[in-house]
Amino acid sequence: MTQDVEMKDNNTPSQSVISSSTSTMQHLKEIAALIDTGSYTKEVRRIARAVRLTIGLRRKLTGSVLSSFLDFALVPGSEAHSRLSSFVPKGDEHDMEVDTASSATQAAPSKHLPAELEIYCYFIVLLFLIDQRKYNEAKACSSASIARLKNVNRRTIDVIASRLYFYYSLSYEQTGDLAEIRGTLLALHHSATLRHDELGQETLLNLLLRNYLHYNLYDQAEKLRSKAPRFEAHSNQQFCRYLFYLGKIRTIQLEYTDAKESLLQAARKAPIAALGFRIQCNKWAILVRLLLGEIPERSIFTQKGMEKALRPYFELTNAVRIGDLELFRTVQEKFLDTFSQDRTHNLIVRLRHNVIRTGLRNISISYSRISLPDVAKKLRLNSENPVADAESIVAKAIRDGAIDATIDHKNGWMVSKEIGDIYSTNEPQTAFNSRIAFCLNMHNEAVRALRFPPNTHKETESDEKRRERKQQEEELAKHMAEEEDDDF
Amino acid sequence: MDPQLTEVSQQFERFKAAFIRKDFDSCTNLLSQLKVLLTKFTSLPPLFENTPNAAQELTIARDIYEYAVVLSVKTEDQDSFERDFFQLKPYYVDARNRIPSSPQENLILGLNLLRLLVQNRIAEFHTELELLSSATLENPCIKHAVELEQSFMEGAYNRVLSARQTAPDETYMYFMDLLAKTIRDEIAGCSEKAYDHLSVSEGSKMLLFSSDQELLTYVNEEHPEWEVKDGLVVFQKAKETAPCKEIPSLQLINQTLSYARELERIV
Repeated sequence: MTQDVEMKDNNTPSQSVISSSTSTMQHLKEIAALIDTGSYTKEVRRIARAVRLTIGLRRKLTGSVLSSFLDFALVPGSEAHSRLSSFVPKGDEHDMEVDTASSATQAAPSKHLPAELEIYCYFIVLLFLIDQRKYNEAKACSSASIARLKNVNRRTIDVIASRLYFYYSLSYEQTGDLAEIRGTLLALHHSATLRHDELGQETLLNLLLRNYLHYNLYDQAEKLRSKAPRFEAHSNQQFCRYLFYLGKIRTIQLEYTDAKESLLQAARKAPIAALGFRIQCNKWAILVRLLLGEIPERSIFTQKGMEKALRPYFELTNAVRIGDLELFRTVQEKFLDTFSQDRTHNLIVRLRHNVIRTGLRNISISYSRISLPDVAKKLRLNSENPVADAESIVAKAIRDGAIDATIDHKNGWMVSKEIGDIYSTNEPQTAFNSRIAFCLNMHNEAVRALRFPPNTHKETESDEKRRERKQQEEELAKHMAEEEDDDF
Repeated sequence: MDPQLTEVSQQFERFKAAFIRKDFDSCTNLLSQLKVLLTKFTSLPPLFENTPNAAQELTIARDIYEYAVVLSVKTEDQDSFERDFFQLKPYYVDARNRIPSSPQENLILGLNLLRLLVQNRIAEFHTELELLSSATLENPCIKHAVELEQSFMEGAYNRVLSARQTAPDETYMYFMDLLAKTIRDEIAGCSEKAYDHLSVSEGSKMLLFSSDQELLTYVNEEHPEWEVKDGLVVFQKAKETAPCKEIPSLQLINQTLSYARELERIV
């Protein structure tokens, strides 16, 4: 610390930079202390908080701060220290001098090194490398951390470990080698399951799904998903991702109703800041709704920050709504690049059938009787035998219940039936019932989602025990205060 | 050359000879022997060991399975088709970087798509489709199957039938014939709902029968509820959206009770 103060004095121009890096350092030290306590008292909550705080500091991390933190947290010369330091670029000459000096003074106190802190160092270095877009280094660093993680089995590490898994996969994805790590991820998921590390399982399952879907291996993804153990979600982010992947799988397998539910839920649960993710969810949700024969409301396309990204899908919806095959084809060609980039092209091909249906429905509503050649012309069916095509298409639409009509084969007419009074059927009653069921279900879900702080009802912890724990904490605090004193 | 590899390739030559002779029984026998021999190669999936002969072994194994798939089409055995195809698939997907791709690949993939279509396994059809690149989708064999599925979904059945003439390979015929049967049932189902009545001659044309007599036997066997009189096929139509005459009391009671139970829980 003294070195830093000195530096401030003789280095005025870059004072602000230095002071910010000092405060970052200060924060990092606080986090390290938090992890220390967490590992000591085995409180996962503290570790989780440490990770959250780190994400806040993310933008302020620099090479020099990081390397001095490594000197502070790890024993210089130890294996982990030398390995991690090799990833962190040294700052300019001046900074380095300071670092070495401060590390010399700090080497002594860090005699007991909890595994949490070491893993945390991997985490923060990895975070830094990814932010610097040094993906190859990040790959090496994350692989090293995964290898290290295999030998530790502590519940307090799970939080950091799950983040490490995430960045491990991310660094491989950025370099395009996602297929390589599939085996490792599966092995990790296996051991996470055996260790009852639910957060790890959740994260790894998502990473595996992502891995499979990256290569369009929907079959494998679904097989894994349906067989992996499920439990209540621990992290909202992971749950959102899971829902999104689930929605994608179901869309491909034509289970549109379920897919719509998962995708909409994913879009709703996603944090506001995750704009890209929400756009993706919306794109898929729009397509699924179109495939279901629904027309998404206009407000979906005008959500803040999404207008531009959703534009192609808006035009597509428009074409489906009007039921114009020609327009549909133009839109499809116009945005071919976007659609193949989003990998939704195959889904859009499936939509052709819906366009015809909508067109047919419009015709059946407007005309009480229309000749089949006219139907073919209106639908713009371009084939050798449009009338025969039109006839069988109409027949199928009638069978599927899309339109209510009959065909008069002799005269070549399609005759629409009078629309019956819907209120004389059971239809309104079923609709009403399904809405009530939805509301009740929503209420139940909300009740289930209520969270209570842990241990509020456990007043039974004996006084003696509590005193003991307090004492331990105090000792620890004192211990740390001494360390601080040593620094000054 | 490795003695095992020599043995396999000799056996394979014998198999091919039998295949050309259309001696499918001995083909099947030779094939099961070949499959046993293949288990001795460690370079094949799922191990993928890097042995010196890996590329040759992979190639010959892939060729054998390709023949196996085609053989199962010839012997009209859909189950063994499925089995052989799944054994072949890793060679196309996972061994892509190890051996040059096979000229038969698109043909086999197209066949598989067609099989899924015939068996009405549309979800799997689309799952397979997602695995193909956009270049592959343009291939005539694949495109054929994709267009078939589209016409099938739309209901343009005569387009499906005319696709028989444009089938890219003679092995496709087996499935196309199966598809024709499926389509006849589809058309029958649709006509039942869409028409009040049809003349017998129109009906037999629509259902792709060569004579009126065939139609009459078909009606007797598959749809005894249809009525044939005065040269007309009359479809009996169930009145679906008939106005509700009765109140579904039991259902209503159940629903109301469940509301009451839920409300109880809330209050």
